[in-house]
Amino acid sequence: MEKAKISASQLFILMVLFELGSALLVPLAIDAKQDAWLAILLGMVFSFVLLLVYHRLYTYYPDLLPTEYLQRILGKVLGSVLAFVYILYFMYDASRVLRDFGEMLLTFAYPDTPLFIANALLMLVIVYTVRKGIEVIARSGELLFIFMYILAVAGFILIVSSGLIEIKNLQPILEEGLFPVLKVVFTQTLYFPFTEVIVFTMIFPYLNNPKKAKVTMLCASGLSGINLIITMLINVSVLGVDLTARSQYPLLSTIESIQVANFLERLDVFFMLALIITIFFKICVLFYAAVVGTASLFKVKSPSRLSYPFGLIILFLSITIASNLQEHNHEGLKVAMFVIHIPLLAIVPPLLLLVAFFKNRKKHGRNKFN
Amino acid sequence: MVKVIKNKRRVPKSMPSFFKDRKPKKNRQQADENPSIDCPIEQIQVSLSGNLNNIKQKTGNSSDVVIREIKMGRNSDIKTAIVYVDGIVDNQSIQEYLLQSMMKDDHKEEINQHNALDLLSEDMMTIGNISSITNLDDLFASLMAGDTLILIDGVDRALSASTKGGEKRSIAESTTQMVVRGPKGAFTESLGTNTAMIRRIIKTPDLWMESLKVGRVTKTDVTLMYIHGVANDKVIKEIRQRLHRIDIDSILESGYIEQLIEDQTFTPFPTIYNTERPDVVAGNLLEGRIAIFVDGTPFVLIAPALFMQFFQSAEDYYARFDIATSIRLLRILMFMISLIAPATYVAVTTFHQEMVPTTLIVAIAAQREAVPFPAFVEALLMELTFEILREAGIRLPKAIGSAVSIVGALVIGQAAVQASIVSPAMVIIVSITAIASFATPSFDMAISARLIRFLFMIGAATFGFYGIILCLLMMVVHLCSLRSFGVPYMAPFAPFIPVNNGDTIIRLPWWTLRQRPRLITANTVREGSNQNPHPPASRGMVNRDFEEGDNNEA
Amino acid sequence: MKRKGVFLLLMMTMTLLLTSCWSKKELTDLAIVAAMGLDKTKDGRYHITLQIINPGNVAGGLQGGGGGAQSPPITIYSASGDNIVEASRRASGRISRRLYYAHTNLVVVGERLARKEGLNTLIDGLDRDPEFRNTSTLVIAKNSTAADLVKTLTPVDKIPANKVLKTLEFTERKWGENVKTSLQEVMKSIESPGRGTVVSGFRLVGNPQQAQKLDNLQESAPAATLRASGIAVLKQGKLVDWLYGKPARGTVWILDKIQGTDINIDWAGKKEAIAYQTVRQKTSVSAKVKNGKPYISVHTRVEGDIGDMEVPVDITNPKVITKIEQSLRKEIKKELETAIKRAQKNKTDILGFGEVVHRTRPNQFKKLKTEWNDVYFPKLDVDITVEAYVRRAGLRNKSFLSGVKENQK
Repeated sequence: MEKAKISASQLFILMVLFELGSALLVPLAIDAKQDAWLAILLGMVFSFVLLLVYHRLYTYYPDLLPTEYLQRILGKVLGSVLAFVYILYFMYDASRVLRDFGEMLLTFAYPDTPLFIANALLMLVIVYTVRKGIEVIARSGELLFIFMYILAVAGFILIVSSGLIEIKNLQPILEEGLFPVLKVVFTQTLYFPFTEVIVFTMIFPYLNNPKKAKVTMLCASGLSGINLIITMLINVSVLGVDLTARSQYPLLSTIESIQVANFLERLDVFFMLALIITIFFKICVLFYAAVVGTASLFKVKSPSRLSYPFGLIILFLSITIASNLQEHNHEGLKVAMFVIHIPLLAIVPPLLLLVAFFKNRKKHGRNKFN
Repeated sequence: MVKVIKNKRRVPKSMPSFFKDRKPKKNRQQADENPSIDCPIEQIQVSLSGNLNNIKQKTGNSSDVVIREIKMGRNSDIKTAIVYVDGIVDNQSIQEYLLQSMMKDDHKEEINQHNALDLLSEDMMTIGNISSITNLDDLFASLMAGDTLILIDGVDRALSASTKGGEKRSIAESTTQMVVRGPKGAFTESLGTNTAMIRRIIKTPDLWMESLKVGRVTKTDVTLMYIHGVANDKVIKEIRQRLHRIDIDSILESGYIEQLIEDQTFTPFPTIYNTERPDVVAGNLLEGRIAIFVDGTPFVLIAPALFMQFFQSAEDYYARFDIATSIRLLRILMFMISLIAPATYVAVTTFHQEMVPTTLIVAIAAQREAVPFPAFVEALLMELTFEILREAGIRLPKAIGSAVSIVGALVIGQAAVQASIVSPAMVIIVSITAIASFATPSFDMAISARLIRFLFMIGAATFGFYGIILCLLMMVVHLCSLRSFGVPYMAPFAPFIPVNNGDTIIRLPWWTLRQRPRLITANTVREGSNQNPHPPASRGMVNRDFEEGDNNEA
Repeated sequence: MKRKGVFLLLMMTMTLLLTSCWSKKELTDLAIVAAMGLDKTKDGRYHITLQIINPGNVAGGLQGGGGGAQSPPITIYSASGDNIVEASRRASGRISRRLYYAHTNLVVVGERLARKEGLNTLIDGLDRDPEFRNTSTLVIAKNSTAADLVKTLTPVDKIPANKVLKTLEFTERKWGENVKTSLQEVMKSIESPGRGTVVSGFRLVGNPQQAQKLDNLQESAPAATLRASGIAVLKQGKLVDWLYGKPARGTVWILDKIQGTDINIDWAGKKEAIAYQTVRQKTSVSAKVKNGKPYISVHTRVEGDIGDMEVPVDITNPKVITKIEQSLRKEIKKELETAIKRAQKNKTDILGFGEVVHRTRPNQFKKLKTEWNDVYFPKLDVDITVEAYVRRAGLRNKSFLSGVKENQK
């Protein structure tokens, strides 16, 4: 574990940037058609339950990294194996996000560049950042957060002043009833992006004021959820449901439609800028969690040096996980969701909480008799 | 003492060198150590002629070492001599106070060899500062510093009288950091004058000074100044430690010290601030920082330094809050423009032509039809030309200066465009960049912007806006990882300290800035509460029954 | 260790910089396409006509010097292919530069292509491309091929595409018989169930051969010009009818796109005596479904000023204003009814009534969806209510003629 401390506001900013990450990019919950915003809202609310589970696990062992307290809860062998599985999950997630980003860049801005180069460049900057530790990541986050919000507000004002928003596109509400919405919530939105926050259990031990963790976490989830809802609302009202469902990157198409005062057009480069910032932080946090976890699991003395080989691994993984964009999307939505996300995010932590609860009750019981 | 060489290898040879600790450097003999430390300290001889010969030999009979021999005592039998170096002493004080008091005095009768020194120092000398010296190193040190030595035959001690003087530059207006409103005097090359100027501004006894001599050959006086109770003790200790560690033969300017004690060398951003103005130093001392004065240069170092400081000028604090805020925002904007303007132009015209409105892109395309180079080469050419012009302009005598600017404008601007070497749009961009780079108050930060600009241009030329954004990210991360003497470089933005942000890119009115910067100082209370103005007349409507006053001004 | 790291960095940087930048596009290598015309050739292939800007002839300034009008500001290239992508790439054999579509703001579709095949097959190629803008305007060439329209040179605007776009924009605002539809809007209306599409039409008046020549511009009244002409009605992407005059304006009115137009009413025996200029209007459409039968009500609210009075009228009398307003209402209602009847005759719901039913009564619309255009829409009962208000009358109050009449008494 690093000898570093971050404050609650820095944690808040990191979490918001993390959750906005690649969720701004993709058509989130569009299977629910016009009610995508409702699906996101419900996903956010239900995810609070799981977030509270993660927080409770943290309060049982406030100074330990999850890789360490997993060993305490489940015993040395099983705990290390599970910790290792989580580390692999973080690396896989990081490579997925990197792939998403590279594909986006290639699709609309740099069609002739090889994917490897686009990914490698971002990976260079990320490795440089992760080497410096969590404090630097948090501080850069504070600086870039303000920048990103200025861009977001400017974009919103431009969209409104272009007269593009048509609220009629959002009607009829709940055309097919509540069931399709709930289906989307429980198979997609609950996990991506809200409960990927499990990564932050690796960062909680660095908080300088542990009591603020719960409020910070819930507020950050709430704020990013609201942002995502607004984004999806704007997307659907500007583009219409069919076009949003057909687009790979609906926010990009929305920003392309901005036409103000006859000279502000085609501002998608600013969209790219905002996205690079959020994706950068998402990959940084995941990468950092993997590095720190490995360092604590295998007792490596200088975790900074680990970041080079891990960077290479994530880079190559991002190239090899899928051979084209459609396979990548299919894998993410249908395969990885059921095999990886649901077990690791929704099933395992509550079980862990149960075991930890019993273990700690016994400990308290024993202390009473002493 | 024998030095023990430890073997630093801890990992076996077979592991890849990536993970090994650094290979141990070959153990060099410490041959260049200062021999004088190990030699025994030489004492002053008893015989006067012996001492004088020693002095003449050591200074190689330099023509400006003056040795005046005097006879004192009842029968003029006690031989004394005064030694000084002409030019760095104040001749008047030697003649009037030293010589006069030695030669025309009433204690002549009582002097003998044993009490000579004590009598001289306690009864006869009318000079202010006198100290007694026993070894040769201190003797030469004080001789070279401008003190006068008094040697007496038969005594193995000497007296050193402080008579420092000589020609000094008078206090003039600052040439590098001008303000419209504010004190105009700037520091000079004399350390005493500089510290005195600060004493005149801060009249509290808590203003402490520590002196030391740095540099083996130059023995430059370096003074540390801080306000006790406001400055952070840890930082003071750290600075003191770093200064003591300096082992170099000469310190010619504060820049040497800056480069020897700074936190990180491989960064384009300065982590120590320097200034020529006493009010800036005083303001920084009051915020808890530490000033380092170096004899021989008017530039004073201030540590620790933060990123935002390099965009603040003294005038900001004397002006009212609205104009001060606008000018600060303008400066930040100009800095950003000077960093990324050429890069943005290159990126937009080479990769992202869709961003530009159609009429503008047609106009730029028309201009570029005639130019043979790609946009990046053009930008590079223009930037290099401008840097050359700038360097040349510094060394020109004033008479030719205006001619060169005309030549520059004509040649580069007009003729190059018409010869189709560069396009007019590029000339505009480069000129805007150059003007914007002059808006940064601190020269060091402007220099770093000049260097980073080329990096951005290369990034833009290879990958368009993606390259610019990646370079920007790297710069932000690098800035956030810098520390200046333990304080994070980007405070108070990151870590975000809300109460200190009233004085960064904006400047709220003075009665709101109630706290000193938290991470730098030990004592954060600066102002009392409730300082906002309470004018006697109300600004709204006055109710007849409640308010006093007879508003009968019409 | 440090040396190795530096060496590695150096190698990587060099390889990066040595390879040429892949996505780099020098401005001098681009052919900026201002407008694209799509036609169908006799053997069923697509024929595209590209209007490429000559930057040197457009910008002028320092480079051009005198004699700027020696060569035209645009150049035309054409190519054929089995689909748009193929045609576009084939055109590279004729142009010395790379085609750049990011500034293509105008797409012209030939009338024959629109009638025979419709727009549906063209859209995917244009929509999918990242360079092409979705916000570009779509126009149908009336009575000519798209190629002839694209080749025309125009006075005042150096780039003819600009002339077409600006004409459409201003006539939409001032007269209201045309609409400026972007590709995105056309896509949305084709995709939505039970809805037809409207696209503006443009006509080349004069000799097509004359229109391409530069001396066409040398006259003060050029022989060959471009003119906005009517609205095309598309049913499932295919052109079925053209609307002019009152039905066209009524359609645009119901679509809530009128911004300013002029309505003339009869007064005191004289036809079209008073001109009323609308300033703003708001049209709302609501739907009800009773016993499986849909009912639509259209409500519009107009405000405007009086522009011209050719008979002596005393508008200082509020009762006269009320009478004018009533005549206006009748006039507008007539126009809207004409538009609706015409659309019903074409069996194409271009007015968006189906969408309103879908939005307010989605469950019932599901049953009506498949036969909306052919069965339910033509038999629709539409109830129109108009509110018209006269607010001001320019600088004068009584009409000039009433002043004359008074003085003669």
